[in-house]
Amino acid sequence: MTKTPRSVCPVCLRPVPASHETVGDDTYLIKECPDHGAFRTVVWRGEPGFGQWARPKIPSPPRTPRTRADRGCPLDCGLCEAHRQHTCTAVLEVTWRCDLGCPVCFASSGTGAPADPSPEAVGHLLDHVIRASGLCNIQLSGGEPTVRQDLPHLIRLAKAKGFPFVQLNTNGLRIGSEQGYAARLAKAGLDSAFLQFDGTEDAAHVSLRGRPLLDAKLKAIAALSEAGIGVVLVPTVVPGVNDHDLGAILRLAADHSPGIRGVHFQPVSYFGRYPAAPGDSQRITLPELMRLLESQTGGAVAAHDFMPPGCEHSHCSFHANYLVTEDRELSKLSAGAPCDCTPRAAEDGACKAKAFVKRQWAQPEKSLPMAGDAPDDLDAFIARASRHTLAVSAMAFQDAWTLDLERLKGCCIHVVAPDGRLVPFCAYNLTAMNGETLYRGKS
Amino acid sequence: MSMIRIPEADVTGWQCKTCGEPLVRKPVELKYLDSLFNVELPVCPACNMVLIPESLAMGKMRQVEQLLEDK
Repeated sequence: MTKTPRSVCPVCLRPVPASHETVGDDTYLIKECPDHGAFRTVVWRGEPGFGQWARPKIPSPPRTPRTRADRGCPLDCGLCEAHRQHTCTAVLEVTWRCDLGCPVCFASSGTGAPADPSPEAVGHLLDHVIRASGLCNIQLSGGEPTVRQDLPHLIRLAKAKGFPFVQLNTNGLRIGSEQGYAARLAKAGLDSAFLQFDGTEDAAHVSLRGRPLLDAKLKAIAALSEAGIGVVLVPTVVPGVNDHDLGAILRLAADHSPGIRGVHFQPVSYFGRYPAAPGDSQRITLPELMRLLESQTGGAVAAHDFMPPGCEHSHCSFHANYLVTEDRELSKLSAGAPCDCTPRAAEDGACKAKAFVKRQWAQPEKSLPMAGDAPDDLDAFIARASRHTLAVSAMAFQDAWTLDLERLKGCCIHVVAPDGRLVPFCAYNLTAMNGETLYRGKS
Repeated sequence: MSMIRIPEADVTGWQCKTCGEPLVRKPVELKYLDSLFNVELPVCPACNMVLIPESLAMGKMRQVEQLLEDK
């Protein structure tokens, strides 16, 4: 283990050296704090192996870094001059209020929330994003953004500033229950909804969100699809809660294609206050998700379909795209493409990911240019694949136990702090075991 | 067999430079990554060289490529 910090102590968040150790098929992050002892946490289980899951990138530092790399990662975020990837998505929290009180919440939203930022403040933050990162993709998040009555105004504001793709991170409750609301969001310019969706059975919703929500989610999917807003289902995957339901979630998504544009799985990570470290049995890793998707879809989705990301660090995610056939089966697109492992400029990957997300996660145009009287195989494929493509992906967020600073430096999802700094998502949400944050709520 | 429609101007008058044969329409399999497409294209009857007109390469084939390619 080198002396260079590569993680943090989960107790005091002090940067500490860390290394990966592979035992059998499993890989652990091990680290030691001089004050709080040693920690060992599983980060990868099984095939495809930790070492082979790689897509090297040549770092692309911010064009206009906001902060200097003085204290060392992860204490200088802003972005700092040593960051290695541009912004693909800027996450803007427009409220900290929420109409759900989930046991699992990144943002620790709910009661006692501070006042919402004013539309003027949101406008200034968007200007900060433009100066730092250009016209990247925007995700309006929270809290639950739909509790704000002026949400359509905020969407219009972002679009008027030129952001090409605006997505809403939502639980979908208001969208599913209020007639005409989705249409108002669509009219304001909303492209896509990142819909919290934990499973095809109410048990998962009850376990993770405290109440049965499946019916409300299905209503939200219908309302969003009808309004022309692309839907991405976002299940938080928790061992023993919904890890048996991944294939069924994909089938539900295929049944709702082209309204549902993608499924983006998020293995549970642990933010907030934890009196004891979460056990390894409470964690599920990316390769396990890949294999479960294969076994739960009867092989329609195969673990070897998935590719490491071209934008964020390789160990943060996987993805593959599928054509949804007339029979609602999934057929792999772009299979057989060998991974081009030549290191590429990170910013090229960010540009491609931005364009892909904009194209895939929004709803396609209703009318497409079709060939004349005799469409051929290419016409048929273009017509189907332009609309009925389902993107399947997963992203593993890092918490105080799993944080790998090499991954953090390559992060492309940046939260816009209230003072305009851009902070990599996992640093922004990082909490020590006692709930103390590094960035959230600190100015 | 379906056929890709090509403006007449793209096809008439083409002949294979190597064989000197006028091109004829023949079934062709286009393979890209793991996807296979059956189309009819102008082909040299002697050496089977296929002509892919620019309008096709820059049009539908490009569209298909974009749909198949990864981020």
